[in-house]
Amino acid sequence: MAAISPELSIPLRAKRRSPFGPVATLARRRFQLSARTPRELVVPLLTPILFALVIAPALKTALHTSSSYESFVATGTIGLLIPLNTMFAGIGVLVERESGAQRELLSAPIARGLLVLANLLVAFAITALQITVLLVVARARGIHFDVTASGFAWFAAGGALFTIAMYGLAETLAARVPSTEEYVGRVPVIAIVPWFLAGSLFPIGALPVFLTWFARFLPLTHALALVRYGLLDDPSSLHGIWRMHSTTASAALSLTVVAVFALVAMRVGLRAFTKRAVG
Amino acid sequence: MYAIEVENLTKTYAGGVEAVRGISFEVAPGEVFGLLGPNGAGKSTTVGMLTTTIVPTDGSARLHGFDVGASPIAARAISSVVFQEAVVDRALTGRQHLAVHASLWLVDPREAEARIADLAVSFDLSHLIDRAVGTYSGGERRRLEIARALVSQPRVLFLDEPTVGLDPRIRAELLDAIADLRDTGETTILLTTHYLDEAERLCDRLAIMHEGRVVALDRPNALRADLGAQIVEVRTRDDADATLGLLRQLGLAGGDAFSVGATVTIPLHDRTAASAIAGIEAAGVSVSAIGTREPTLDDVYLHLTGGRLALAA
Repeated sequence: MAAISPELSIPLRAKRRSPFGPVATLARRRFQLSARTPRELVVPLLTPILFALVIAPALKTALHTSSSYESFVATGTIGLLIPLNTMFAGIGVLVERESGAQRELLSAPIARGLLVLANLLVAFAITALQITVLLVVARARGIHFDVTASGFAWFAAGGALFTIAMYGLAETLAARVPSTEEYVGRVPVIAIVPWFLAGSLFPIGALPVFLTWFARFLPLTHALALVRYGLLDDPSSLHGIWRMHSTTASAALSLTVVAVFALVAMRVGLRAFTKRAVG
Repeated sequence: MYAIEVENLTKTYAGGVEAVRGISFEVAPGEVFGLLGPNGAGKSTTVGMLTTTIVPTDGSARLHGFDVGASPIAARAISSVVFQEAVVDRALTGRQHLAVHASLWLVDPREAEARIADLAVSFDLSHLIDRAVGTYSGGERRRLEIARALVSQPRVLFLDEPTVGLDPRIRAELLDAIADLRDTGETTILLTTHYLDEAERLCDRLAIMHEGRVVALDRPNALRADLGAQIVEVRTRDDADATLGLLRQLGLAGGDAFSVGATVTIPLHDRTAASAIAGIEAAGVSVSAIGTREPTLDDVYLHLTGGRLALAA
């Protein structure tokens, strides 16, 4: 077997870099893709807006309840918007793997986890934008919110951590299923079923006892309780979970639950992505 | 230092499928090295391991000294890959693809802009570079993918079956582009293909892979020379394997003769074509056609892959 004599050459050095540059590049690319796929932006918003603007006022009228119930349901729809939006973002990951440029990105000189973080950033930004739209439209429809600075902090922290957690689940699911069809088939179980049990339309205390206990273990229940406490200054959902007098302690405990969920889900998501990406 | 060093590289997938079985080779800087083999020979798995998208089960590989297992990011920083299938975002424009690659490979933005403009001209993409890639033809998309791989001026370029599925005209254009790139001598190219003509035209050296192993490695003309100066090709009405066996028994065919379909191919080493043909006719073989010609890379390939399978059967 012949060999061509190698030229003598000086070993090359890999350039050092900060992770911010590639994350910004990847996020910009993901955003460009999302912007050219309007369904990713619009579809997840439709159902929550329908609930907040049509169903909540209709329920208020039909059930002869007060305007606080309307606000209760309107904030509850955030618990639907976040899972739907992050799950839609997961479809983008699958499309990228099946027919997009994911392999090119995997051959780039960057840590592969940055691909997940960049996608998370875009999913996070789009979710924040959609929640803002939902709240603005709800306010314009006459739905009342009672927001203080500290309340907003609880709402923002709970919503942000829950978004991170759900995106972690979306990445995990995208990595574990072989096709978009299978992914879409599992979305209702992850994004919609928990919403009905987590105190979105009624307090969890109205559920049968065993389901009330089950709801207490759902991270969405805690996220929604924080959202309501933040946007409506209504601690009843937190008290319904923890049965404690201290609202702050209850909120801190719920935030801890959502934070742990976010940490675990993102870790699992990163691991699942990396494992799937490298054969 | 070699541009690519592969030592005992092995990949066994879950379920025990041995895709690559302990291959070793070196590629010098500036060399165009071909991995030639049928589908399933292990070519793409080898490229996957060298580009760090597949984890080797055993062995090691280095790109300009960077171990793909121990320093994968450094190895990726000096290399680019053009994949066998289309790997593009259909919604993004050609320019956006090149810009993302340049940014991830740390090309200075102003330098990237200039390189993108140059590559757009070189690969005849200027008129469509601001169009969404989903509107490109197969050939245009392929040219874009090669241009994208070159934005970062890689020291090592992997081309994994770059001409598969292209029509003959576009394929010829693409081969010209790769030949131009080879002539610059600045980039080491590892090309996988099962098209013998492109391997012969582009590669300085070739490794023929079969069932996960490298069964031959040399310059194309040296590989051909192994089969002698001439071959006799016999098309028989009888069973070709039985005919080959008979000719071997009679000493008319050596160990490197092989049969594929109804054709028996006999390399001539120290015998003249006339005496070989006379011997075959005297042996009573039912011949439908017989002729002599110079060996081609096809013969080498069939001898080492198809021929071996036939011998084993």
